Amino acid sequence: MNLIAAKLFLASALQALAVGAPVPAPAAATKMKSAVDGKSVSIADARGKAGTLVIFTCDHCPFARGWEKRIAELADTYVKKGVGVILINANDPAKYPEDDFAGMQARAKQLGLQVPYVVDETSGVARALGASVTPEAFLFDKNGKLAYHGTIDDNHRDAGAVKAHYLKDALDAVLEGRPAPVAETKGIGCGIKFR
Amino acid sequence: MILPVLAVAAALTQPAPIQVAPGDLAAIRAAVAAPGASAVLVNLWATWCDSCRDELPAVLQFARAHRADGVRVILVSADDEDQRDQVAAFLTKAGAANVQAFIKHGDDNAFINGLDPKWTGALPASILYDGHGARKRFWPGPVTARDLETALHELKKGKP
Repeated sequence: MNLIAAKLFLASALQALAVGAPVPAPAAATKMKSAVDGKSVSIADARGKAGTLVIFTCDHCPFARGWEKRIAELADTYVKKGVGVILINANDPAKYPEDDFAGMQARAKQLGLQVPYVVDETSGVARALGASVTPEAFLFDKNGKLAYHGTIDDNHRDAGAVKAHYLKDALDAVLEGRPAPVAETKGIGCGIKFR
Repeated sequence: MILPVLAVAAALTQPAPIQVAPGDLAAIRAAVAAPGASAVLVNLWATWCDSCRDELPAVLQFARAHRADGVRVILVSADDEDQRDQVAAFLTKAGAANVQAFIKHGDDNAFINGLDPKWTGALPASILYDGHGARKRFWPGPVTARDLETALHELKKGKP
């Protein structure tokens, strides 16, 4: 099996983190450079007192683009409530040049991101969490246990037409110490281009 | 007189436009289960997805090569529904004459899990069914001509 085939096999064979599970230790401690301020942060660094929201996203994907303002707004709102937020780009920029660090910096500036938007340089953090698509959210409660995994809401195109606010509802639940009303969802999106 | 002649000549060399129907989960399931196929391949893709576009020639070649054996190929685009004309134009240009084409309609979550619980929603993805509509193979990510040929061969030999 050549390297590419091996990577594809690994990417497809990995299961996403189960609800109730913590971030695997090596991934939690992996330092990743942020396009917002150039600092290196890990998921552990980004952890909030009330919970931690990890979102795999990127620049090129129309689904990530469709949700990017809502992601930035949710980040701003819930950081103020004590939830740590970290946005992670695990894509190989060789496959999508827009997803390189300069592209991320431009996107971060345009969106006015106040939370880290970091590069997963080996895609190892995405693999460890079993992320496969952008955007894909992993919300951990105050004890670091996965409370919600899935998509942002049920309409990537039109924020006004959303009927199910999956992630927002899960964030509110985590703040109140109760289980997310829907703990796992799926949304169509761009497959992560693993390195 | 020259222009109409050219127009007719152009019309004769243009492939027939591909029809793209809105497809919710029930429509895709019905298309998979419709009688008369020896195997069915469902390919989930989008015009904006590079790796989907890269694998499309292999999928279309598979459709052409096995049409006579009763293999049905169904392309389901996850483009936005108002892009239906663009999807049809794209497929027409790609020469997707021997396939059934849909554009996804309805809630993602139910659609994804209803088609295959193993599918995370990441594009592209492909599913191979036998002639009775039973799921036999699922591919997350791009497929190659070899993947498809091998899987079809195994399906016909009756391997699980």
